[in-house]
Amino acid sequence: MTETDRMLAERFNRRGFMRMAGTTTLGAAVLAACKKAEDTGGAATGTSGGAAHPPIEKEPGSLAVFDWSGYGNGDYYPNKERASLWQEYADETGDTPKFTLFENDDQGYTKAVTGNAAFDVVHPCGYKYKDWVDSDLMQPWDTSLIPNFSQLNPKLMESGVVDGQQYFIPLDWGFIAPLVNTDHVDVGEQSFGVLFDQQYAGKISWVDTSNMMYIGGLYLGVSDPFNMTDDELGETRDFLISKKQLVKFMWNQSYDFWLAFKKEEVWIGYSWPDTVGYADAAGMNYLYMEPKEGRVSWVCGMGLAKGSQNYFHAHDYVNSWASKKAAEFLMAWYYYGHTNTTADLSVVSPGIVQALGLDDPTVLDPPRAIPESYIPRRELYGQYWSEVKSA
Amino acid sequence: MTAGLLSAPVLWLVLFFVAPVVYVAIYSVGGITLFPTDTGVISLDYWRHFLGGGSIYLGLFWKSVRMSLTVSVVVVMLAYPIGYFLALVVRKLKYVLLLVIIVPFLTSFLLRVLAWKVMLGDRGVFNSLLESLHLRSPNHPIEWLLYSQFTVMLVLAYAWIPFVALPIFVSLDNMDRSLLEASSDLGCSRLRTFWRVTLPLSLPGLVAGFVFVFVPTIGEFVTPLLVGGTSGYMYGNAIQDLFTRGLDWQTGSVLAMFLLLVVAGLMLIFGRFVQVRSVAAD
Repeated sequence: MTETDRMLAERFNRRGFMRMAGTTTLGAAVLAACKKAEDTGGAATGTSGGAAHPPIEKEPGSLAVFDWSGYGNGDYYPNKERASLWQEYADETGDTPKFTLFENDDQGYTKAVTGNAAFDVVHPCGYKYKDWVDSDLMQPWDTSLIPNFSQLNPKLMESGVVDGQQYFIPLDWGFIAPLVNTDHVDVGEQSFGVLFDQQYAGKISWVDTSNMMYIGGLYLGVSDPFNMTDDELGETRDFLISKKQLVKFMWNQSYDFWLAFKKEEVWIGYSWPDTVGYADAAGMNYLYMEPKEGRVSWVCGMGLAKGSQNYFHAHDYVNSWASKKAAEFLMAWYYYGHTNTTADLSVVSPGIVQALGLDDPTVLDPPRAIPESYIPRRELYGQYWSEVKSA
Repeated sequence: MTAGLLSAPVLWLVLFFVAPVVYVAIYSVGGITLFPTDTGVISLDYWRHFLGGGSIYLGLFWKSVRMSLTVSVVVVMLAYPIGYFLALVVRKLKYVLLLVIIVPFLTSFLLRVLAWKVMLGDRGVFNSLLESLHLRSPNHPIEWLLYSQFTVMLVLAYAWIPFVALPIFVSLDNMDRSLLEASSDLGCSRLRTFWRVTLPLSLPGLVAGFVFVFVPTIGEFVTPLLVGGTSGYMYGNAIQDLFTRGLDWQTGSVLAMFLLLVVAGLMLIFGRFVQVRSVAAD
């Protein structure tokens, strides 16, 4: 497979990156914590729901997976995705999952809420977990049915707990931070402010989601960027409107950002780790910033649909995804982190290990990283963001 | 018999056009709740907010109207000579030539837009050409070529030219040539014949072509999404964003209904000028 194929393959997948970080890093500390988690039952309050369900032989199979492109459906690496992410599941159950895709978290959630997506397993990111649970779409996992759960970073597993129950199994993780081309950008103090820097007008790319609202808030120094007051939201909106003319374009797919970054049409951008991976592989002079405000970290995970007829199939599928093999695939091919702590970092290039701090156990700790959190008034963020774009 | 034949298309229209529009209209006044955040209170507040002074979305609507108007006028001016040439100048193979003009447009729209991206980028065909001619330095490409209102209008104009050339061609092709001869016999110059005879007779085709471009481009969202950047954002993008990202379906419904009403109104006005028969081939 050529580098181009590989890049093409990665373009829609931001999550991979987190996995990397989660994976290796935490080394001994994580293992110790895992041990502790095993002893105490971990963050999860595993239910004994399994007993109430018909045995796996009685389940219909054809597990319906609602996921991002390239996460097992074969959009990028048809054989590798299957072999690494769900072959173990297929061997175990004899089942072939059926994939339905979404482009971003909001779209996936919208489809599900409006009844336009039937699924057994869904793969949203952490800040949306509570929305899914509150919409009565989910049921908690029984972690005792997921043998690989004990290998997952218990600290990150806590992010999958909603209302005291393990509704999600966090798996892939990554960062959000500015990526800059150091051939053209003088890096002084590292800050998200580089996304709003007048001297680089026309050479900046933002992401085209309401996440820019909390990035703006973070830069402006609000106390909680994920739960801003009306005044703070208004101030952030006005700030972003005033800076919008500096932006060349806002990217929808990270691969589009990468193409523009590679061609030096932009020098600065809101970036996931995948673009860092491409820049590294292309030998560019880049810096994936550790802004003084902190990198934003995200974790995405698998949830189980309420009323799923494939209860045990779903657990087997997630177990496959939680394996060391799946973790190493996501790290090596998507530049993502994975919450499996046994994965081998040597599958990733040293440049990436350094840029993402994969060998640094503190890389995910505040204030270096700020976990992307549930946004109680997300629809308001969306409205203000629409106004930024429409103004 | 007629009723029987009509029932299927009518049912189709009702199910897949009228019913969804009614649904969106009800949503726009809060009559339907889908999300936990929907209030379920029926009111015209969202409409009032949209139509009220200083509404960002209304401003965006007018911006889109301006862009669409510009595109439509430019396209009509570019397409008219094509239609004229095919109908009145070419004697043989006119339909073959017409096909030649249309064939490139049978390829994927997305591919054609992406091709423009390749041409207009900082390192694209145009900027590279300017650079090799030493008209621009490599570090100072013309940046507004891509990701700007200009780009959106350029790509839209390109995309719509054949569709406008077609009705103009048809109306000119159907014109009674003896009128041109009569005009000439009565001493009119070719230019005067054009102004006094050809142009007025082709007006229905011209107006139809204008409408063909103007109506769909007001609500356009794909082209600005791909090449518009921050300044090329259009009304259609706002509707799409409100539904898929903003999760604000009620405001999205208001915007969509407003667009529908405006377009319907325009169709009524333009309908007075355009006789279907005059732009249809025999």
